[in-house]
Amino acid sequence: MSGQGLTGLSPWSRRLVTAGVLAWCLITVFPLYWVVVTAFKTPPGVVGGPTYLPFIDFTPTLQPFIDLYQGIRGEFFRTFLNSTIVGLSAAAIATAIGAMAAYALVRFEFKVRFGAGLIFFLLALGGYLLFNTSLGFTRPQALLLAFPVALVVAVVANRLPLPGPVLGNEDILFWFVSQRMFPPIVTAFALYLLYSEIGRLGFQLIDSYIGLTLCYVAFSLPIVVWLMRDFFEAVPIEVEEAAMVDNVPTWRIFFGIVVPMSMNGLLATFMITLAFVWNEFLFALFLTNSRWQTLPILVAGQNSQRGDEWWAISAAALVAIVPMMIMAGLLSRMMRSGLLLGAIK
Amino acid sequence: MMRNDPIKHVFIWPAVLVVLAISIFPLIYSFTTSFLSYRLIPPIPPRVVWLGNYASLLQEPRFWNAIFTTTLIAFIAVGLQYVIGFGVALALNARVPGERLFRVALLLPMLLAPVAVALVARMIFNPTMGPLNQFLSEFGLVNLPFLTNGHWALACIIAVEVWQWTPFIILMMLAGLQTLPEDVYEAAELENASAWQQFWGITFPMLLPISAAVVFIRLIESYKIMDTVFVMTGGGPGVETETLTLFAYQEGFKKFNLGYTSALSFLFLIAITIIGVTYLALLRPHLEKRR
Repeated sequence: MSGQGLTGLSPWSRRLVTAGVLAWCLITVFPLYWVVVTAFKTPPGVVGGPTYLPFIDFTPTLQPFIDLYQGIRGEFFRTFLNSTIVGLSAAAIATAIGAMAAYALVRFEFKVRFGAGLIFFLLALGGYLLFNTSLGFTRPQALLLAFPVALVVAVVANRLPLPGPVLGNEDILFWFVSQRMFPPIVTAFALYLLYSEIGRLGFQLIDSYIGLTLCYVAFSLPIVVWLMRDFFEAVPIEVEEAAMVDNVPTWRIFFGIVVPMSMNGLLATFMITLAFVWNEFLFALFLTNSRWQTLPILVAGQNSQRGDEWWAISAAALVAIVPMMIMAGLLSRMMRSGLLLGAIK
Repeated sequence: MMRNDPIKHVFIWPAVLVVLAISIFPLIYSFTTSFLSYRLIPPIPPRVVWLGNYASLLQEPRFWNAIFTTTLIAFIAVGLQYVIGFGVALALNARVPGERLFRVALLLPMLLAPVAVALVARMIFNPTMGPLNQFLSEFGLVNLPFLTNGHWALACIIAVEVWQWTPFIILMMLAGLQTLPEDVYEAAELENASAWQQFWGITFPMLLPISAAVVFIRLIESYKIMDTVFVMTGGGPGVETETLTLFAYQEGFKKFNLGYTSALSFLFLIAITIIGVTYLALLRPHLEKRR
């Protein structure tokens, strides 16, 4: 480790480095301090120009938070609950099924023929076009029909000796992670169209708990699989082998040995996913409009409603920020060296 | 050891199915929509125009403006993040006094909702009542048009991006720095290499793979920027700070121009892919040379 870096420098450059880090720290902390302080201001405390010190510059008040709770500008309490419910359930589901997939990718061998993948894509696309244009189904109906057909045919085709390359676990992992590269607007918009057409069939997905959670689960999965793969790889295989000798079934090895051993990793992954869902804006913007609106949407709306009421804006921003601040404290305790390093290899 | 047990399918299929359903499904849907002329308001029945949407997009100055703006924000912001983040990580790794306290504070911004951060930024950048204005007034710079002038607004957005995402670089580079073997530095010390030489000769090249990965992640993420701009400027003044995602949102959600927006999102996807592939191609020789 280059721990001796600073001692190798002259005292002056040492002071310079310390000052630089301190400056960056101030830049980081100042906006946070500002929003905390502003949330307790009264209107005169804001309009008179910037003030910084409570009790000296201005008299703090709890009024902005009381207004928030009473729902004077949007139903904060319910939105907060929405965000919590959707965030916790999406993060829990994503961590659970993502961890299972990651474990499968670490310990089992998968072979997917490139041809089968191609067949899936072509059948899904072609079947959709066929059902929609020639057979007169509506667009979501055509999609819902083409999808399982393509999937079943592709799974069967995977057993046949098709020409072309055979993809292994690494490629499946890459496929998962590459989902994260897509600009979310591509899917957000398409999902909005799809949800609203399914809604016309009588099954409400827009502005619903299921619709939003499902979409968040799908978009957290790439991160979960990526992070969890490294945690599982760190689990010593000897333990599992010993259990296998005793004929313990795989699912018990996973839930009884592997999961408890990588609890830290699961927890960190869960929290990172939760932060991601909690802060997400674009999907919530497209897929909700009133009942299941989440905090970021409501917070963004504060701005256009009454631009100069800074005390209210700050209180709103603070409600969205504080849970994540608490999480940052928890996370940083877990962030021992190397915990995240594996993830970037 | 790779086992083979049919139960593996139970483990992997839920995740595969959810991702297939929620991301591939809509992708096919919007891919086919991008060849249609399809509007909801005013309602026009869908009509096949093949590449018509793509052609008109490529001739649209607003589209090129959005690409340019997004690229500018992404490259400048990520460049600054990398330089500052690497610097801070080096300092923290070298045991700056009070380093433990810094770590928590430095981690914070990346976990906060970009929307909330943008709201706070709006207050700080307020040209009359904001603290930044007060600070700059000391130097005779009064009431700068932070968010109402195109260039200033871009700079402010970049500043917020740097503020929020430098912690990510710090975190990753710090993790990378801690894996470096100590004996190399001891050898360099014996050779009387200066700290500067040690950095360029050892630290930087050895961290190049991690740097490449971190910059890549940040670059791709920065291209998706939307919430910050949405709250800070709404794309204004005019369309001077309009990013690709924001442009797509305006077309799709305000005008309900479905075919056009689908085409736009696919062009976006193609652009991201080109950037990603070029980046990796440019970097590959440097990464392989070391092995």
